[in-house]
Amino acid sequence: MTSETFLAVCLGGVVLGALYALMATGLAVVWTTLGIFNFAHGAFIVLGAYVAWQVGNANADGAGFLAGAGACVVCLFLVGVLFHWLLVKPFERKPNVVLLSVVTTLAGASILEGLTNLVWGPRSKQLDPIAAGDAQWGGLVMSRNELLMIALSVAILAAVGAFLRYSSVGRSMRAVAQNREAAQLLGLDVARLYALAFGLSASLAGIAGLFIGSIRFMTPTMGAEPLMKALIVVIFGGVARFTSPIYAAFVVGAVEAFSSYYVGLYWTPAVLFALMIVVLMIKPEGLFGKHERSV
Amino acid sequence: MRYDPPFRHTAGFLPALGVLALLIVFPLVFTEAHARHLMILVFVYAIVAASWDLSLGYGGLVNFSHVALFVVGIYAYGILAKTLGVSPWLAIPAGGAIAVVIASVIALPILRLDGIYVILVTLAFSQLLYQIVISQSGVTGGVGGMVTLPGLAIGDYRFIRDNRIGYYYVALALLCASLACLYTIVKSGLGRAIVALRDNKYYAMARGVSEARTRLETLAASAFFAGIAGAFYASYIRVASPDAFGLGMLTLTLSMLLAGGIGTLWGPVAGAFAITLLSEAIADYGSWRTIVIAAIIIAALIFYPGGFWAAIQELREFFDQARTTTLARWRRVVGRAARERMLGAKETMIATRFGAVAVADAGGAGAPILFIHGNSACKEAFVHQFEALARDHRVIAFDLPGHGVSDNMDPEAAYNVPAYAEIAEAVLAKLGVASPAVFGWSLGGYVALELAARGNVAVAALAIAGTPPLNVVPDDFAAGYDPDSHLVLAGKRYFSPREARDFAGAATAPLSPGSAHMHKTFGRTDGRARFFMISQIGVTDWPRQMRMLREGKIPFAILNGSDDPFLNHDYFRKLAYGAIWTGAPHDIPGGKHAPFFNKPELFNEALRAFLREAASGRLARADDSAATRPAPHPASPREDAGRGEETAP
Repeated sequence: MTSETFLAVCLGGVVLGALYALMATGLAVVWTTLGIFNFAHGAFIVLGAYVAWQVGNANADGAGFLAGAGACVVCLFLVGVLFHWLLVKPFERKPNVVLLSVVTTLAGASILEGLTNLVWGPRSKQLDPIAAGDAQWGGLVMSRNELLMIALSVAILAAVGAFLRYSSVGRSMRAVAQNREAAQLLGLDVARLYALAFGLSASLAGIAGLFIGSIRFMTPTMGAEPLMKALIVVIFGGVARFTSPIYAAFVVGAVEAFSSYYVGLYWTPAVLFALMIVVLMIKPEGLFGKHERSV
Repeated sequence: MRYDPPFRHTAGFLPALGVLALLIVFPLVFTEAHARHLMILVFVYAIVAASWDLSLGYGGLVNFSHVALFVVGIYAYGILAKTLGVSPWLAIPAGGAIAVVIASVIALPILRLDGIYVILVTLAFSQLLYQIVISQSGVTGGVGGMVTLPGLAIGDYRFIRDNRIGYYYVALALLCASLACLYTIVKSGLGRAIVALRDNKYYAMARGVSEARTRLETLAASAFFAGIAGAFYASYIRVASPDAFGLGMLTLTLSMLLAGGIGTLWGPVAGAFAITLLSEAIADYGSWRTIVIAAIIIAALIFYPGGFWAAIQELREFFDQARTTTLARWRRVVGRAARERMLGAKETMIATRFGAVAVADAGGAGAPILFIHGNSACKEAFVHQFEALARDHRVIAFDLPGHGVSDNMDPEAAYNVPAYAEIAEAVLAKLGVASPAVFGWSLGGYVALELAARGNVAVAALAIAGTPPLNVVPDDFAAGYDPDSHLVLAGKRYFSPREARDFAGAATAPLSPGSAHMHKTFGRTDGRARFFMISQIGVTDWPRQMRMLREGKIPFAILNGSDDPFLNHDYFRKLAYGAIWTGAPHDIPGGKHAPFFNKPELFNEALRAFLREAASGRLARADDSAATRPAPHPASPREDAGRGEETAP
């Protein structure tokens, strides 16, 4: 393996890592705050990509990239709040809420997938790249689109991290995540904060979908794969800190890139799932986790 | 202590037989291939859903690789029957066996995991299986799958011919066999261990149930049926495709489980039937199909978490209510003269706060004595006492709520011991009886104890039979009663005819002309009265009754049958009594649970002797007769919760 190939594989891993970090952080926000896994996260990603395409793309409404991204974020936020209200809130107080929410969010994912199929049809589409052309340093070539994607992902994650850490709403969300009853006693509006967490998570999923749509073809059924990847990342890294899934995302991205190179494209997912099972068996709280759940 | 009759003796046997007969006749009536095809799909899905329920519903173990094990069965059949040329008839059970092996591998990492982690690991495994299948295209055909698998045939007769009638019956047979096996498992020790681990894991483990072993056996058992169903499905559609690994098939099967009702055997079968037909009916609407199925899942979970099964149970309760209410009203009018002749007493209806109760009052100037009957019985249980005692006593008896010809009442409010005691107070007040002697039998014994302990009625003498006084519930329940399988029926909501006969026979006397009236009554009893009496056992202040007995201000006698099958007679002897006739519980020789009914002469003689002695004032420990009325106690069950101090050293 030459150094150029090595660097190219590394860069591929970083691109994947940035994508996975966005998807996994969204999933982790809901998991840590509400204590449930949202199996509709993949459907959110797909919906985000389609909304951005509908509003922003030149061959649809053509309002431009920024308008598309804005519509995607706002729309997904609302969908997230709606999902929380319809699919999670009715079961919040039941003892088996974890199982029930798995079932309802799976069902919600089916509904979203069906609706996406009805509205946009099964034919594959592609978003216009955010920036055209390639950037070049020495022998290293990389598309501007991917470069921008990495930068934007890092910026968005930093913003979300700062929001959770410094803003009063973000701190309230973390308080609810740590101890729901105590937070409620202090006068925090738990229902609203839960809805907010769901909305935030869905918006992050929408942005991830936007990025995926700009580098791959999108179809209404493509949600399962990113959902599984986000699951792997969250389990791999754990959710002890806000940054745990982000580190894990880049590790998983690198593993995937190298494993695709060495083991082959078909075996890569198998390797990742085997890795996930091993982590769950040995350290269920994740590689970067201690035995707790909180942002 | 459990009541576990074979399936042919349960209430579900006849309906199941009826449905089976319908299913056997079905393909003879509906001869076109499509109707039979749908039913074959229903059968396959029913096997998958019902076997999934063993781990998900009964075990509370959310195994998301179950559908993947179904696909394992499909591929096992494909590889064995097509690639290796094994006979399809052998490949189907082999599919089940291979699924068991894979399930055991999956089970190993989740033996000690909980909750969401079980879901995640099993989901990861099913994705891992999917990736392995599509990456091994040399063996499995990759994404394209395998086609033209061999179908089932005997000799030259291929089962697909004659509009698939062969497949129909094979599928039906597989479904019946699977359900029979699952039913056996659920009723076996393994089944009870599975449920125990779901309901109270640490208690079950403390009682020696191995969690890891039970989980392994559960997953292996449920995988076997999924594998068989998969292999049969492959032999039927003759295609093996990896699509079924996706979340769509998982959601569909899950919707059958949830719509049917989890934790039941028949619910998923009904769910498979309904969802398959619905899904077929809207098959032409493309994406709307998945949307509707998903919406059904959500709606079922929000509005009807119990699924069809709960609906069937509600329907059953509705019909049982209608039946028992009508019977009570009908018999109130029709059998009245016969009953009055039987007891030699007028029957009147007395309105209470809860509803109307039927009271038989022999009248007369003698000292009044009130008889309170037991669970599922009626006031005519005391027919021999009316005959023998009516000359010297004013004999009174009434039907408890939901029993005899009394009204069915609000189950939450009326079907518990304190409410029964309150009704007894109301009856006595209405009849103008101030200080009666009270005899209570079995459940009625608790009512009598409660009536005396409440202190609103000055009980002159108190006697019980078949009633172990309780202090700590439910612990004393286990100590005071003997494990008898029919005793479990005391809290069962619905009786099959056989169960009514068994319980009536064990509690009163085997069916004979003399006990025919009692047997008739057991079937009329409001099932909710039994169920709520047991489930609301905690509303009674049991320690207060025990204190009352210990203080001994009321003359007291225990007149058990010496051969009572339900009682632990040693328990009675160990309790501390303040004042008890003959100094110890008096056993009626040869008497069963209802000694006054089986051995009326001996019983009446003993009761008379006790009443005489009680009237002489020698029995009670109190200083003067005015103090026979116990001081009302504050109704605090905690006050005297110290366990064990009642038992003599």
